Amino acid sequence: MLRLGLQRVCGDGRISRRALVYAGGLGVAGLALDDLFRLEASTGQAPRRKARSIILLWLWGGPSHLDTFDPKPQAPVQYRGPFAPIATRVPGIQISELLPQLAARADRFALVRSLHCRSNDHGIAGTIGLTGSDAGGMSLGGQVVPGALGPAHGAVVSKVLGFDASMPRFVTLGGHLHQGKRPIHGEGGGPLGPLHDPLRADYDPAQGVKLPQLDLIGGQSADLLSDRQRLREALDGQLRVLERWPAIDRLDQFRRQALGLLTSPEARQVFDLSREGETLRRRYGMFRFGQCCLLARRLVEAGVRLVQVNWSSHVEPVEDTGDGGWDMHDRNFQQLQDRHAWMLDQALAALLDDLSDRGLLAETIVVAVGEFGRTPRINEKAGRDHWERCYSGLVAGGGLRVGQVVGASDARGELPVDQPVTPADLFRTLLQQMGIGTTQLTTAGLTPRGELIEALL
Amino acid sequence: MIAQPADASASFGRGAHLRKPVARTDAFEASQGWRAWRGVAGVCAALLIALAGVRFPAAYGQQRLVRLTHDGHLKQRPSWSPDGRWLAFTRHEGHAIAVYLRAADGSEEKRLTRRTDPEMDAVWSPDGRRLAFTFDKTAPNQGDMDVYTVGPDGEELQPVLVSAGKLSHEEWPSWSPDGQWLALTSTRDGNQELYVVRPDGRDLRRLTSDPALDMHPAWSPDGQRIVFATSRWGDLELASIRSDGSDLVRLTTSAGLDDYPAWSPDGRQLAFVSNRTGNFEVFVCDPQGQDVRNVTQHPAIDTFPAWTPSGGLTFVSNRDGGFDLYLLPAVPGAGR
Repeated sequence: MLRLGLQRVCGDGRISRRALVYAGGLGVAGLALDDLFRLEASTGQAPRRKARSIILLWLWGGPSHLDTFDPKPQAPVQYRGPFAPIATRVPGIQISELLPQLAARADRFALVRSLHCRSNDHGIAGTIGLTGSDAGGMSLGGQVVPGALGPAHGAVVSKVLGFDASMPRFVTLGGHLHQGKRPIHGEGGGPLGPLHDPLRADYDPAQGVKLPQLDLIGGQSADLLSDRQRLREALDGQLRVLERWPAIDRLDQFRRQALGLLTSPEARQVFDLSREGETLRRRYGMFRFGQCCLLARRLVEAGVRLVQVNWSSHVEPVEDTGDGGWDMHDRNFQQLQDRHAWMLDQALAALLDDLSDRGLLAETIVVAVGEFGRTPRINEKAGRDHWERCYSGLVAGGGLRVGQVVGASDARGELPVDQPVTPADLFRTLLQQMGIGTTQLTTAGLTPRGELIEALL
Repeated sequence: MIAQPADASASFGRGAHLRKPVARTDAFEASQGWRAWRGVAGVCAALLIALAGVRFPAAYGQQRLVRLTHDGHLKQRPSWSPDGRWLAFTRHEGHAIAVYLRAADGSEEKRLTRRTDPEMDAVWSPDGRRLAFTFDKTAPNQGDMDVYTVGPDGEELQPVLVSAGKLSHEEWPSWSPDGQWLALTSTRDGNQELYVVRPDGRDLRRLTSDPALDMHPAWSPDGQRIVFATSRWGDLELASIRSDGSDLVRLTTSAGLDDYPAWSPDGRQLAFVSNRTGNFEVFVCDPQGQDVRNVTQHPAIDTFPAWTPSGGLTFVSNRDGGFDLYLLPAVPGAGR
């Protein structure tokens, strides 16, 4: 460590390639790149604009880009839909009238309007969105795309930064993604192993924060366990169970970490939303996605490096009626207006405000994107179908260049006409902003995917 | 004349001017004590004004609002029984969407049926003997919305208009004042259009034929016209047609969407939802779309207006955090 700290730094303040390679070697011997980052910081010349964490708002099901971030008011009525664009805080940028709070904060985010991917199947496009590749993705029909499934972006972060027994690197808020009864591949560590799977938590409006992986504790929620007496009683009971459990010695590190989180009052408090003021909780919205966004902020504040907030587990809104997915083949406009749009608008605007107020936005990337967009032409059921050829995403914070639109779609939102980018490009760029570039990825044994979107850096 | 929003900054996004995000800093949190003192001062000022006999502007009569529910779950489309004794509404709770009946005095609340598939948007027949509602059959997974009627006791479920041959969505029923017809929307002909049909499913007639979306019909108390929301002029605006589909008249022209029209019992006013001020508010206007007034004026979402038999307004709002039902017993400006 000392020697590394004396390495020469490049003219732009970055530590030399040789030092990085050396650091990667040290990683094998127990020095993770997180240590490297600390060493970089100790030199006083750490790379500028480096993000520390990512909050991925995974808009499962695929939002309509025309009805959210890429309105087409001049398109024929069969395309444009019933919502008008509104001006935003950034002159020249318009978004849907259903997103007024985000419009007022357009100087804090960038819109990428030229995303596209290679599949219009939730299963495969989901794998692309979460791993950067379709390899290993499973279609609705059960066919698996050849190739080795890659790790989720959060698992990559966990691998590169190294496992932390005190706080997970990667947390997913929400249940396992699926379409129909088929699970989506690519949510976890994959080839990196379960050590880099996300810790899972969720918020239920009726039950508070839930930690499914901590079901050892009799199903009690973190909110309930905030009562010390109840916690002690729960743990006493649990210890008696564990003593009788023959598999206790095989508890892997992951579960030990999870158990440690719950038994450590400090760590457990991270999941206790009752510690937030009522005003702030309401600002996020007293619905599942809103409270999960608040929980995400608490987690990055506590040191988690990638928090994935799943909008829902189901793709279909009708399957999960409170805040079901964005897969609106039917009644797209009714559901956007009545539920999804204002929920996203309120929760994401509150998240940006809250991060900014706490000085966290500069080091926290917020990205909101689904696995694809929706057909520009309205279908016969007042809905829109899957459209992978062109869609939009929103990125904010983390030193990214905001207050701009990157890329452009054609007059009907059907195809990119400028700077087409893929989900792999997007996350390659976000990881780069976290200081995880080619060297760090290859050093960790990972294959870099995608190209950098220079306009965001 | 359109009432101006209480907070002029609420007009952001419509080109009026830009709203700066409210700075929420530690200092803000630390100022809660000061805010409390300001609140006390505000109450004192209000009392002084009241004692002086000064009336609040009607549009600011939020003190008169009655909160009817307190569970905070998402709700939609309230509908009062003709005798004013029951309020039907739709509640989203967890994985369920269901219709509930709430006694006017709050003494009782019950589910309309015990079915597990989503049911929503129930509306009372003029004689109070039936409710028409949207029934969503979720199998296999895309949803299939049909319109049924059922008795207030949840019995005698009868189909009105269901998918025929291919998947289509029938929804948002509205009774004719004589109870002999229902107006509703359907996608059965390849686009969302307005139809009328007898409650037993006979005599289906299509009223509109336009590539735009037509939705949320509301039959006038005199039976002559049907008001609805349509995207044919851009974003959603209100329009009306005769009950035979003729004589299309545009009612609103706003820089914002106008939706969910509801006739007052005397037919002299229309309530509707609009985001023309930057967020969703409940407005009322005359049947020609004139004399538009914002009757909620709150930065929260106010939506799904429904008139009480005596001319009050019930609506859904998240002004207290979650979504609940509120009652404005007297509508500001009514009876002018």
